Amino acid sequence: MHRYPSVWIVLAAMMLVAACSHRSVVALVPDPDGAVGQVTVSNAAGSIAIDQANQTTVIRDDQTVPSAPTTVDAAQLEKLFGAVVNTPMPPPVHFILHFQSDSDQLLPVSRKALPKILTAIAARMPTRVSVIGHTDTVGNEAYNVALSMRRAQAVRKLLVDSGIADNIIDVSSHGEENLLIKTADNVANAQNRRVEVVVR
Amino acid sequence: MQIILFRRLCLAFLLAGMFSTAAHAFVGVVKTVEGEATITRKGKTLNVVTGMEIEQADIVRTARDGLVGLIFSDDSMIALGPGTEISVDDYLFEPLGKKLSLVIQLIRGTMSFISGQIAKLAPESVQLVMPAATIGVRGTHVLMKVE
Repeated sequence: MHRYPSVWIVLAAMMLVAACSHRSVVALVPDPDGAVGQVTVSNAAGSIAIDQANQTTVIRDDQTVPSAPTTVDAAQLEKLFGAVVNTPMPPPVHFILHFQSDSDQLLPVSRKALPKILTAIAARMPTRVSVIGHTDTVGNEAYNVALSMRRAQAVRKLLVDSGIADNIIDVSSHGEENLLIKTADNVANAQNRRVEVVVR
Repeated sequence: MQIILFRRLCLAFLLAGMFSTAAHAFVGVVKTVEGEATITRKGKTLNVVTGMEIEQADIVRTARDGLVGLIFSDDSMIALGPGTEISVDDYLFEPLGKKLSLVIQLIRGTMSFISGQIAKLAPESVQLVMPAATIGVRGTHVLMKVE
């Protein structure tokens, strides 16, 4: 044994490399709604794209190209990734509220949505709620954003007046940067002029 | 035309400043916890409970029996398996100032990621980082493991 110290050094070095290699596995799985997206897995050695459900790639270390995708079944997925495969989390619920023109008065139909929002909040406690004002793409932007912020604050007040703790509500405005209906600039669109309530 | 563009830019900065820095922006919330898990934040380690806020630069760790579910402000959802460590390296969801970024590092363990609105508005600003590779996503659900 003493005659081959180099063997042991090599073995020890290999074990060390294995320990530092951070072998990793990545799998693409369907979204909750069934759609399948796309991922790109890259490192210094190269990059591969995965766009089919249940395809996996193994990354041996950061100097080795991620392996060509292979498809695995549900049992293998669970063996590879364990509990996170089946950790269902209820996705956030979105409510859309509309207002009278140029005003922070809710439309009657949107006012009727309030009890549903309160029920969702109660069902999801402890939770965080976002109230987000949105505008369409018709300028004057400053005016629009201020108006949608005023609308968001009006919704916040409604929630607080209904007994929701103020400190779980987050109020913001996305202006015209997060349109519900994609339009060109300077297009009036009633559906885009909205306040969104997100319950998590 | 350039003047209009410049004015719009100024306006965007002005508005982003007005509405985003008023309070600290909400990043995410702990939705589910099983077993033991901790968050390390500014040098302090806190036990994870449901309803707790997630902040940028948080390090979340689960014990061998731990499972944690997080929901972010852009609807991104992350589940952490047992023996897992992640760090929230960057998170910005402020469309008004066009500030969008989600960079999460999986240091060890297992993680499930379901993308949200940041991936829809700016897919290139979503990065899931592992020691041996980085994942870019286009509207998707991905499972990751680092041994």
